[in-house]
Amino acid sequence: MRVTWMAGAALAALMSASPVLAQKTTLVVGMQTQDAGVLDPHINSGTPGKALMNWMFNGLVRIKPGQFSPDQIEPDIAQSWTSSPDGKEWTFKLRQGVQCHHDGGEFTADDAVFSLKRASTKDSSAFSSDYSAFDKVEAVDKYTIKITLKQAIPSLLGQVMNYHGGNMVCKKAAEALGKDGFGKKPAGTGPFMFAEYVPQQYVKLVANPKYFRGEPKLKEIIYRFIPSDASRDLALQAGEIDMMIGRQEQAWVERTNKTPGLKVLTFGPAEMSVVHLNMMQPPLDNLKVRQAVAHAISREGIWQFRGQNISRQAVSVVPSGYLGTNETAALLPHDIAKAKALLAEAGHPNGITIKAIHTTLPGMMSFIEAVQAQLKRAGITLDITPVEHPTFHQQIRQDLSQLTHFQAARFPIADVYLTQFFHSRSIVKTPTAVTNFSHCKVADAEIDAARNERDAAKQIALWKAAQDKIIAEVCAVPVNEMLMNWAIRDSLDLGYELKGSLNLGPPVTEMTRFTK
Amino acid sequence: MGTFLVKRLLFSLVTLFAVLTLVFLVVRIVPGDPAQIILGDQADATAIAALRTRLGLDRSLPEQYFGFLAGALRGDWGVSLVTGRPVIQEIVAVLPWTLELTFVSMILGTAIGVPLGVWAAVNRNRMPDYFTRLTSLLGLSFPPFVSAILLLIVFSLILNWFPVISGNRSTPWAWFQSITLPALNLGLIMAAYITRVTRSALLEVMQEDYVRTARAKGVPWNVIVWRHALRNALIPVVTVVGLYLGILIGNSVLTEIVFNRPGLGKLIIGALNQRDYTMLQGMMVIYTLIVVVVNVLTDLAYAFVDPRVKLS
Repeated sequence: MRVTWMAGAALAALMSASPVLAQKTTLVVGMQTQDAGVLDPHINSGTPGKALMNWMFNGLVRIKPGQFSPDQIEPDIAQSWTSSPDGKEWTFKLRQGVQCHHDGGEFTADDAVFSLKRASTKDSSAFSSDYSAFDKVEAVDKYTIKITLKQAIPSLLGQVMNYHGGNMVCKKAAEALGKDGFGKKPAGTGPFMFAEYVPQQYVKLVANPKYFRGEPKLKEIIYRFIPSDASRDLALQAGEIDMMIGRQEQAWVERTNKTPGLKVLTFGPAEMSVVHLNMMQPPLDNLKVRQAVAHAISREGIWQFRGQNISRQAVSVVPSGYLGTNETAALLPHDIAKAKALLAEAGHPNGITIKAIHTTLPGMMSFIEAVQAQLKRAGITLDITPVEHPTFHQQIRQDLSQLTHFQAARFPIADVYLTQFFHSRSIVKTPTAVTNFSHCKVADAEIDAARNERDAAKQIALWKAAQDKIIAEVCAVPVNEMLMNWAIRDSLDLGYELKGSLNLGPPVTEMTRFTK
Repeated sequence: MGTFLVKRLLFSLVTLFAVLTLVFLVVRIVPGDPAQIILGDQADATAIAALRTRLGLDRSLPEQYFGFLAGALRGDWGVSLVTGRPVIQEIVAVLPWTLELTFVSMILGTAIGVPLGVWAAVNRNRMPDYFTRLTSLLGLSFPPFVSAILLLIVFSLILNWFPVISGNRSTPWAWFQSITLPALNLGLIMAAYITRVTRSALLEVMQEDYVRTARAKGVPWNVIVWRHALRNALIPVVTVVGLYLGILIGNSVLTEIVFNRPGLGKLIIGALNQRDYTMLQGMMVIYTLIVVVVNVLTDLAYAFVDPRVKLS
């Protein structure tokens, strides 16, 4: 009885003594990087920088927070827009009263024009080639800008959204600081403002009290650079960080979801793993051999191997969910007997050997080893030369690999994937090379026609026709799509449902807050 | 002494020049294009070529080499290809973190290693000796990244004594909390080396005639061990400490990454991954300088611990 009484008294004393717990207003994020690099949205193209830029900058338009499909575009700094019937002239009406960070004054048409010109200039932008179709950008009045294009492009709105070159920078700050200075002290109009950069440790952002959608509920964000996966995990479990980029591993997702107070968010755009077959080199110059490779690979087997919650099967040579993806494309089914028969028909009854240069990145390596095992069952020996990641990127562009495994997400419009991977302009080792490793050129006409097509239905039909041709020719075998995984504290309310993020990290908006 | 120093410094200059040349060539022989890495995998060939020109990577190798040497002589190590910030500025910003970690680890390693080695030697083939030999063997066998994770799990996650993210110098207490686990991680491995070297050196010295004479004269055992024998056994220990300092700086790469401390280690990994030639060159010069300085200091220390050593 006495013990109970004392315990009760102690509890009462504790309750009366402890202040009401203040709601947490600092978000600490862990990112897998040694450093964020240059903090200029027109230069920083890496995954570690993208999420950070997204919290500081706006576009003229944006994709709704938590979504990544272009059909979810909504006004951002621009409140409305119109285009001419031929799609070459676009006029944007800007919101009034949007304020630049650090008391930089109102963001007007002059700033928007300056920003787009800056994004399209080689010296100040890594994305200048995205703006090659731009002819003129001009301010019509204080709150109106007009963009004139040399030719219509599939998505002008994609070039002016809060992504890459479409991030709007404030003219006064950019001019005053110069290119190098701006990368150290960026200024935009977004919900959070740059406050401090400590090399190799963190970037600190503080809430923008003049944000046009209202003052953010969080007061600051500490964006920590934590390159070690294990250390990030431990820091999250120890409560030192609240949100972090995770691993593309099913076991990690399951383990983290079981940890009290934490949850894993899985979202798009997915990175698609595609096996590109070099059609210029024997034996892959033979269609039957390429078909045999496609039949030998089991998409379902790889999906189960990589993790059912964090990956999905590929549906076409363009990732699922992109504008223009043929979601029901006729990909060749898994059929070992058929693969063997095709090899025999092609004059290789005893099987073939294909050489592949491959990165040593563990996630990608485990994929290609699984594919290697599947191919072996059909009599196809995959001879893998593992090289370090930067070497891999250089050598595959020198056309040194017969089979190239590439894992990538792109701006979610079919045109981008089709152009970069399957248009003859993008064939590696040419002056206009991008990432066409297969030397595919069967769908050039459809890809080009779709770019200039103004009728949305016809445009989509052309993109689907291009995919069908590429699949029939087996330029590449799409296998698997890997989703993004981030772990967050379950007391963090992002303020929207997260299905996707073009900037590869959850948007932190004015609505994001801790519930306790 | 003066002549010795001048000679050593001249040799150091030759070493430095050789390292500069070697590093310049090696970073360019390794495949991987900095322009490609900076622009990302969506960049087209034209954009990559334009950036190569802007970074001066399209110039001939001799042209780049002499430009680099001329700059190095003027003290201009160029700007990072990736961040555009001066290399020297980036290195100076994080160098104190690595030096601090290295020296605290060294002091910890020596403070633990020497007494343990002495303890083992004076108790040869008895329990303390077996215990010390076994634990030092464990210390030698543990890769630093494994011990780092174990330390974090025990002391940060379970006991909650130290932070996982160790890069805080805002207060003396925060500094102490930040440095303890990383320094322990490196220091314990170093202590294992020093223990074994101290033990074997001391065992050898303990066989010497003067030790027997001292014992015969009735000099107290502690004085024989700590004042007479240990001092004479210190030369190999100093050599190991000097050599190990180089290894410590190397091991600090992994330790900095796991404990998330700023430092040269994190900088060099980033520079390697991104093929940041100018940064790698600058860092190699710093690493070489550190090793050269430590070697000179080790030589000077010989004369200090053993007056019979003549520096000439």
